[in-house]
Amino acid sequence: MVKIAKGINIPLNRAEGDLQINVEIEGGVISEAWSAGTMFRGFEGMMRGRGALDGLVMTPRVCGICSITHLTAAVEALDTIAGVTPPDNARRLRNLALMVETVQSDVRHAILMFMVDFANREAYDKHPLWNEALVRYQPLAGRAAVEVIRESKRLIQVMAIIGGQWPHTSFMVPGGVTSIPEVSKLLQCRIIVERFCSWYERSILGCSIERWQAIGSVGDLDAWLDESPAHRDSEVGFFIRFSREAGLHTCGRGPNRFLSYGNLPLPLDTAVQGTGSRMLAAGYAVSTTVHHFEAAQITEDVSHSWYEQGSVPVHPFAGKTKPYASGQSGQLYSWVKAPRYCGEVVETGPLAEMVIGGNPLFCDMIEKDGPNVMARQLARLVRPTGLLAPMSVWLGELVDKRGDAFYRSVLTIPDGQGAGMIQAARGALGHWVKIQDEKITHYQIITPTAWNGSPRDENGVRGAWEEALIGTKVKDINNPVEAGHVVRSFDPCLVCAVHCLKKGRETGIVKLGFAQ
Amino acid sequence: MRTSIICIGNRFVEEDAAGPQVFDRLQTMQPLPAGIELVEGGLAGLNLLPLLEQGGRVVFVDAVKGFTHPGEIVLLTHQEILQTPGQFSFDHGAGLPYLLAVLPKVYDGEMPEEIVLLGLEGRCGEETIEKAANMSVTIAAHGLRGLG
Repeated sequence: MVKIAKGINIPLNRAEGDLQINVEIEGGVISEAWSAGTMFRGFEGMMRGRGALDGLVMTPRVCGICSITHLTAAVEALDTIAGVTPPDNARRLRNLALMVETVQSDVRHAILMFMVDFANREAYDKHPLWNEALVRYQPLAGRAAVEVIRESKRLIQVMAIIGGQWPHTSFMVPGGVTSIPEVSKLLQCRIIVERFCSWYERSILGCSIERWQAIGSVGDLDAWLDESPAHRDSEVGFFIRFSREAGLHTCGRGPNRFLSYGNLPLPLDTAVQGTGSRMLAAGYAVSTTVHHFEAAQITEDVSHSWYEQGSVPVHPFAGKTKPYASGQSGQLYSWVKAPRYCGEVVETGPLAEMVIGGNPLFCDMIEKDGPNVMARQLARLVRPTGLLAPMSVWLGELVDKRGDAFYRSVLTIPDGQGAGMIQAARGALGHWVKIQDEKITHYQIITPTAWNGSPRDENGVRGAWEEALIGTKVKDINNPVEAGHVVRSFDPCLVCAVHCLKKGRETGIVKLGFAQ
Repeated sequence: MRTSIICIGNRFVEEDAAGPQVFDRLQTMQPLPAGIELVEGGLAGLNLLPLLEQGGRVVFVDAVKGFTHPGEIVLLTHQEILQTPGQFSFDHGAGLPYLLAVLPKVYDGEMPEEIVLLGLEGRCGEETIEKAANMSVTIAAHGLRGLG
């Protein structure tokens, strides 16, 4: 066995600073991988004993990117406990805010955190498209890099109008929302969304959303690429051409099992279509075969995490978060727990949403090549195609139905338990909450990055991106950009997976160590 | 002149909580002198950009590391912030140098006339938080020159 006993640095700081990945390499191919969240979060303990509504104020401050997302999960848990169904207009406003956050995150991650690696000189200066990648993605200078910041910034106005303040809105409350935007403000939101949509179609897709949605197979995708220079030169077109040349459709397979909690509860009276009561379906898929999702099948395994060891993995309503970082050194290696569904490791995120939603292009991609880095990242880049049109519809409905209710009175939160289970930009997010005497007695959060970046479980089965790293070819151990692509295709966010963000002047370089 | 005090940082992490602590102190001093807007910037990163395109003066309050002795306060100008060695690629909590470097390329309204960072080094006691809160109001009202 050829092992390389050399430590190297990978600038995973774009994926937060507290992730360490150790790998073993045999003959230039990753043969083993361990993903460690290196800092304790302790958030669950912080919540116990606080007022029933405090999750609405505390959890949005956990993360600078998924602020609205945590607010949504927190309020849905409280809605359930209070036994209240928010009125249609509240559904629309809550959904809109969450969709803005998702769309913004998708385009920023794609261009600023993933495709920026295409401009990496050491890795790609021999790639025929490297010069063009530099023009597009060079930090602070690339055309697309600057454009995406400008355009995604303009969307913030929508969150500010809906939320009544920016940042740190807590406009979602059990029973609905706290504000009723003026008609003029709603129209302003609609213009902002439509302008963003025009930019997205022009620059990201190179075609209309309708044209993109007509692509139903890999063959269709190839025909689309050949159809017009606008398609080839768009960010999606360029991404596909660059990725294929770099072999990104051949690496980063992962567990080939997918999970989505479903998302965006539908108003009772709306033109937006969905599956059941939500716009996006919940499900569990093995390859492209989708099964019914049952929340009771979720467990958290701590057999390889620095927590007090329990006897068996338990559901998050029964889970505890007691740090225990001594003893069993070697076996315990991460502050991230290992969530499992039906005892299995799963991947969550945009690709999971595409598979579970039955998107024919992504199902075809997986049936042909298996899950891979290119499919996973493409799913993120094009996810807004399914969100932007419903956003406009809901804004129109809000204008038409502004006289209807936005809130149903909830005077107190009764004793009970409830879960808020939604899709964050990075995948399945759940808050499991118990209330007694109007105080929080239990708060467990499972983040998308806990699903994707988990350590091994009691059966020794690797977490999703640990598994995805296996078989990845690393050309240059001093610049392991391929391993970075694999991990970044999951869009890791350790801020809420492990702890809260550390700022200041630290560079956040994360070590990709090689086993001795 | 329109001015704002934007307190940034993470109130759940002790070493990064100075900004939010100053924010909490300033909240108890409300109403602040006319024209000063107080913002809890938290971890909003790039999403603070809309607050930087309204002209006027912006005073950031944040924890810093390696600038002075623990418990002390340092003032940095716009130019000094930009010259801080740091990484200029985006991350999930893009820092202040990144924010200010990208601002001229993406702003829609009017750039601030003056940007100042009031940095708090290391663990800060009540006294330092109080001092920083008072200084931030003085700078917001009169600019760096206001400190005399």
